[in-house]
Amino acid sequence: MNRRRLLILVLLVAMLLPAGSGLAQDDEFVFGMVLVGPRNDHGWSEAHFTAGRYVEEHVENSRMVFFESLNPADAPETTLAQVVEEMVSEGARLIFTTSDAFEEDTLEVAQNHPDVVFINASGDDVLTGEAPSNEGNVMGNMVWGKQIAGCAAALATETGSIGYLGPLINDETRRLASSVYLGARYCYENYRGMNPDDLEFTVTWIGFWFNIPGVTLDPTEETQRFFDQGADVVVSGIDTTEAIVVAGQRAEEGEAVWAVPYDYEGACAEAPDICLGVPYFNWGPAYTEIAEAVKNGEWEQGWNWNSPYWDDLTDNDRTAVGWVMGDGLNEDQQAQLEEFIAFLAEQDSGSLDQDTVREEGRSLGLWVGPLNLQDGTPLAEEGEVVVPIDVWYLEQLLEGMTGDSE
Amino acid sequence: MSIEVRHIHKSFGPVHANNDISLKFDDGRIYGILGENGAGKSTLMKILSGFYLPDSGEIFVDGKPVHYTDPQGAIEAGIGMLQQDPLDIGPFTVLENFVYGRPDGALPDWQAAREQLQQLSARFHFDLNPDVTIERLSIGQRQQLEIIRLLALGVRVLILDEPTTGISALQKSVLFGSLKRLAKEDGLTVLFVSHKLEDVLELCDEVAVLRLGRLVGQAKLPVTTDELVAMMFGQELAPPSHEKVAPGDVVLEVRDLTVASHRVTVEGLNLQIRAGEVVGLAGLDGSGQELLMRASVGLLKPLKGRVLINGQDMTGRPFRAFLEAGVGFGAAGRLEEGLVSGLTLTEHFALVDPEQRAWIDWERARAVTEERINHYNIYGRPDSPIETLSGGNQQRVLMALMPSSPHILVLEHPTRGLDVESARWIWEQILARRSEGTAVLFTSADLDEIMTYSDRILVFYAGQVTEVTEPESTTVEELGHLIGGQGIRKEAAA
Amino acid sequence: MSDGRLASRRFLGVALTLGSIAASLLLTALIIIAVGASPLEVFDKIWQGIGMKPDGIDPGRFAGVVNFWIPLALASFGLVISFTAGLWNIGVEGQMMFGAIFASWVAREIFLPSVLLVPLELIAAAIGGALWGALAGVLKTRGGVHEIFGGVALNNLASIYAIYLIAGPWQPPEGGSLQSTAPFQEAALLQPVSSGFRVSLLALVLVAVAFVVVAVALRGTRWGLELKALGKSPRSALLLGVATDRNAVLAIAACGAFAGLGGAFRVLFTYGSMRPLVSGGIGFLGLLVVLLTGTRTIWVPFVSFFFAAILAGSTRLKIALQLDQSLAGVVQGILVLMVILANGVRGRMQGQVITRLPEQTPTGAQPQSEEAASG
Repeated sequence: MNRRRLLILVLLVAMLLPAGSGLAQDDEFVFGMVLVGPRNDHGWSEAHFTAGRYVEEHVENSRMVFFESLNPADAPETTLAQVVEEMVSEGARLIFTTSDAFEEDTLEVAQNHPDVVFINASGDDVLTGEAPSNEGNVMGNMVWGKQIAGCAAALATETGSIGYLGPLINDETRRLASSVYLGARYCYENYRGMNPDDLEFTVTWIGFWFNIPGVTLDPTEETQRFFDQGADVVVSGIDTTEAIVVAGQRAEEGEAVWAVPYDYEGACAEAPDICLGVPYFNWGPAYTEIAEAVKNGEWEQGWNWNSPYWDDLTDNDRTAVGWVMGDGLNEDQQAQLEEFIAFLAEQDSGSLDQDTVREEGRSLGLWVGPLNLQDGTPLAEEGEVVVPIDVWYLEQLLEGMTGDSE
Repeated sequence: MSIEVRHIHKSFGPVHANNDISLKFDDGRIYGILGENGAGKSTLMKILSGFYLPDSGEIFVDGKPVHYTDPQGAIEAGIGMLQQDPLDIGPFTVLENFVYGRPDGALPDWQAAREQLQQLSARFHFDLNPDVTIERLSIGQRQQLEIIRLLALGVRVLILDEPTTGISALQKSVLFGSLKRLAKEDGLTVLFVSHKLEDVLELCDEVAVLRLGRLVGQAKLPVTTDELVAMMFGQELAPPSHEKVAPGDVVLEVRDLTVASHRVTVEGLNLQIRAGEVVGLAGLDGSGQELLMRASVGLLKPLKGRVLINGQDMTGRPFRAFLEAGVGFGAAGRLEEGLVSGLTLTEHFALVDPEQRAWIDWERARAVTEERINHYNIYGRPDSPIETLSGGNQQRVLMALMPSSPHILVLEHPTRGLDVESARWIWEQILARRSEGTAVLFTSADLDEIMTYSDRILVFYAGQVTEVTEPESTTVEELGHLIGGQGIRKEAAA
Repeated sequence: MSDGRLASRRFLGVALTLGSIAASLLLTALIIIAVGASPLEVFDKIWQGIGMKPDGIDPGRFAGVVNFWIPLALASFGLVISFTAGLWNIGVEGQMMFGAIFASWVAREIFLPSVLLVPLELIAAAIGGALWGALAGVLKTRGGVHEIFGGVALNNLASIYAIYLIAGPWQPPEGGSLQSTAPFQEAALLQPVSSGFRVSLLALVLVAVAFVVVAVALRGTRWGLELKALGKSPRSALLLGVATDRNAVLAIAACGAFAGLGGAFRVLFTYGSMRPLVSGGIGFLGLLVVLLTGTRTIWVPFVSFFFAAILAGSTRLKIALQLDQSLAGVVQGILVLMVILANGVRGRMQGQVITRLPEQTPTGAQPQSEEAASG
C-alpha cells in the first residue's frame, strides 16, 4: 500500500469514529432493555422487547439499547454487569432487567450504579427490602388473567375435568395455577349451576417454561394424557403452544376439547375454534410510565404489581394484563364471562396495601375465604380476604386441586 | 501415448530422491523400473502420477509439456498408477469403487457402469463380482479392480508399483497376461516397478535402472539376471551364511490352539519352537499363518487353547505383556504397524528405550539414535521424520527398534518389498540374533526365502497345517503343491 | 533442504496465515455491509469493546476479555493434551460442567476460611472434570464408543444433572426457577484484583501454571511422547509398547481436569453461583482454538485470547450498533475456516497433500485398542 492510500484510509477511519460513538445527546433519554431470550421468541422476551419499542414511541426523544439472549449458553462471554456497563456508557439512565434470572445480579449492579434506575421485572427485591433505592420491581398481576382463564375453562367443560399444564414449581406458578382453579370453581358453581366440589382440577408440572427434551416432561404428551384421562379443557401455564396445538388436532378429529394458551396475544391463532381465550402480559404502559418518571426525575421506588385496565382488557395502551376472548366460547358463554370480568373489576381494590384491602374487604378477586391450602391448613376464614403478599408468596396449591405443591 | 520426463529433481529433507532424471517411454511397450529400495523408483512414479510435485523438471505427453498438481490431474492427462498397497475404500462394493472418482461420480449410470465392469473383467479374465464389498477381496483382486477402474477412466499410461507382492501365482499370470494385451493390443504404455528380477525378465520389453536417485542404466531385453544385478548393485550377492544352532529350551508353545478370522479357522494346532530355531510359515495370504503369528504375540485372542512363552501361560494377556516376556514382533505394514508416521527417528528410539522413564533425556535419546543409525546402516538423520525414509530404511529402523536379544522374534514378511541387498542385510540381523539363542517365526510369500532360512516349515492351506521337517530335501514344486492344497497329509504339527 | 528453501517455506507459512486473516477480515466486512452496517464501525466497536481507548485501556472492559479468556485458555490447554493423543474430546463441555458441579458442591457444603476453601474447590473441580473425562475414555477403550459420540452423550448427561441439581436439591430458598442456585458464600469466591479491574489474580496464576505444565508434559516427558505416538498411529504405538488404552483414558482425564478448572472459574468468579449450561460452549470454542494451533501449546494463549477478545468485544458491538448477536460468531467462524484453508493450501504448495492418505487403506491404522487386539 502506498502512502497516499494509507493516508486516505486513516482519514476514513477518523471520519467514521465519531459517527460510531453512540453517546447520548443532551436531550436524548436512553434506556436499556436486557432480555434473557431472543427478542423474537413469541413469548416472554418478545413481550418486553415490544414494550421497549412502545416506550420509544411514547416517550419523547427516547432511545432503547437492548441486549438479547443474555444467558450462560447463548452469551457465555458476558455477564449482566458487563452489559450494564456498556449500556451506561451508551448513556442509559434506566435499565430493565426482564427476568428473575437477573434478580441477584441486578441487586449488585444497582449498588454499583446508584445514578441509574434498574427495574427487575417479576422480582421481589423491593418487597423483601433487599433492593437499594434505585431498584424497582414491576409485574403485571396475572392472578386476574388466570381467574378469567379458569372461568372460561369452567364455562366450556362438559366432562367437569380441567387440566393445567404447569412449568416449574415456585411461588409464582403456584399462585397462578391456584388462581385458575378459583376462577373455574366460581364459574362452575355460579354459571353452570354445578357442585364445585365435583370439579376435577389436575396440575402437571413439566419442569420448565418450555420443553427441553430429556430434562422436562414433554408438554405435547402431557396434554394428550390430560385428554386421554377425561379432561376436555387444558389451560396452559407454559411459554409455548403445545396445549392449544394438541387440542386443535383432537378437535379436528371430532373430539369436544378446548384449550387456553398463555403469554402471547396472538396464541389463539393456532386453533381459533377451540381457543377459549388467552391471558397475556402487556408491559408497554407500565414501562412508559416508569420511563417518563425517570426522565423527569420523578421516579420513586416501588413494587408494582399492576392490575388490568378493567374497562377494556384488550387496550394495550392501558392494561398491564390482557385477555383476548376466544371463539371457542359461544355468545352466551362470552356474555357470562364478560359478567364475571365485571364482577372481578368490582373486587379490585386497586391497592396492594394489606390494611387497605382488609378494610375494604376486597383484594385479588376470588382470593377470599374460606380457603384452605392443599394439606388442609387454613389460608383464610370465611369472608376474610387473602392479602396480596400472601398470594404472592403462596406456599402450596389450594385444597381441591390435584398435583404437587413442591 | 508416449511420455517423457526431463531433468526431474525431488528432495525430501536431506534425501535427494530423484536427481536429474530424464527418461522416455513409448506407447505399446512395457518398461521395467528397477532399483534397490530408496533408489527413487517410487518417487519418480509418484511424480508421474501426480501424488508429488517435482522440485524442478518437466513432464511431456506426446511431446507436449503437461502440468498437473494432483492424481486427478494426472488421470485427466492419461496417466494412472496402481499403488503398492491398493488404496481403495473399505466398506463399499466393487461396483461403487469402480464408479468412485469418475466425472459422473455424483450421479452415476449404475447399469452402464456394471456392464463396463463386467466386460473389462471378462476380457482380462479377472475374477470380480460387482456386488462384493472391497474388504472381502484379496490383494490380487483389488489390484484387478484398480486396473480396470483406471482403464475406464481413459488412462493410457499405466504405472504399477510392486504389483506382484502378495498375490498368488495364478493372479500373477493373469496380471501379466492382461498387461501384455494392454500394451500390444491397446497400445498402452506400462511402467512396471519391481525389485523381482524374474518378473521383470518375464514381462518387460525394456528396463531402466535407478540407484541413489540417479538413472544408472537402460537396456532392451533380453538381458541376463547377472547383468541386471550388476547394474543395480555393481556386484552379485549370495545369501548370508547360516549355520544351524543346536535347539535349546522351548520358548514358544501353543497347545490345542484354535484361532479364526472371518475367512479362515485354524483348529487344534500344537506347536513348540525352541531357542535358536527358525520356523518358516508358508501359504497363500489368508491361509491362517498370520492368525498363528498374531496369537503368538497376544494381538489375537485364541478361541481355544493356550499360548506359553518360556513355559509361562500368556493366554489372554495383552501385547505389552508379551513384549515384556521377551517377544519381538515385526508386522507386515511398516507405517501402519510398527512405525509412527510423523515421529522422528529419535522419538522412536526414545519410545522403546527402557532407560527413558518419566522425563525424557533427549541428549541420551539422540546419542542412542546416532548409534543405531550407524550400527544398522540407516540412511537418515536422528530428526528425520520416519515417513521420509525409503522402505528399506524403514525396515532397518524396525529391526533396530526390536529388543536386542529377545527370546523369540515373530516376523511377518520381513523382507517384503525389499531389494536383494536389503533383504540379505535383514537376514544377517535376524541370524545374528538367532546365533545368540533367539527363536524365529516368520512368514514370507517368497518360497526361496523360506527354504533358505528355515529349520522347519509349516505350510498353511485353508487353515490346515502340514509340517515339512527337512527343508533341505524339499523343492519349490513340492511346497507349491502343499500351498495349493494338494497332498495335505492329515498330520498334526509337532 | 537448503536453508534458503527452509526460509522460503517459513515465509510462505507466515504469508499464508497473514493472508488468510486479511481474507477473512475482507469477507467479514462484506457480510457486515450486506446486513447494512459499516465494517469500520463494527471493528472499531469491537476494539473499544476489549477496552482500547485513544487515551489508554479501559480496565473494566479489558477485564471482561480476560475473564472470558481464563476458562477458554484452561479448556484449550486440556484439549491440546487430548488432541495430541489423537482424540476428539467433544466431551470437554461436560467436563467443564462437572468441574463446576464439584466446585459448587464444595462451595455450598464446606465452610472454611477462603485460603483453604478455594484450593479445595479447585482440586475438587479438577477431580470432577477428570472423572467425567475418564468416563468418556473408558467408554471408548472398554465399550468401543467413539469419543465423539460418548462425549456428546456425556455432555447431555452433565447438563441434565446440573439442571436437576439447580431445580432440585440446590434450588434457592425462594423456590426453583431453574436459573441459578443461591449465591455461594463469600469465602468460596475468587476475589478480583480491585473493583475497577475485576480479574482474579489466582486464576491468572492458574492459567500460567497450566500452560507450563502442559508444555512441559508434552515436550519433556515420556508420557507426552507416548501420547504423540498414540495420536499419530494407535496401532504402531501399541506395537512399540505404548499402553494405548490407559493413555487414551489418561489423556481425556487430564483434559477433563483442566476443563474442570475452567468450569470452576465460571461458577466461582463469573457467576458466583451454579447455573445451567455454565460451560456455555467455551469447551467447543476451545476445540476451535486447538484446531488452529494443533499441538503447539505455545500458540494456545494467543489464539484463545484473540477469540476471547472478539467475543467479549462484541458485547459492546451488540449494544452500540444493535446488530444481530451472531455477528461475532460469524467473524470467528470465517477466521477459523480461512486459517484451516491456508494450512491446506500451504500443505498443497509444498507437495505434501497426498490426495488419498495411506492410513486410509482398509487394513490400515484404524484406532484399535489393546482390548480389541488382545481379545
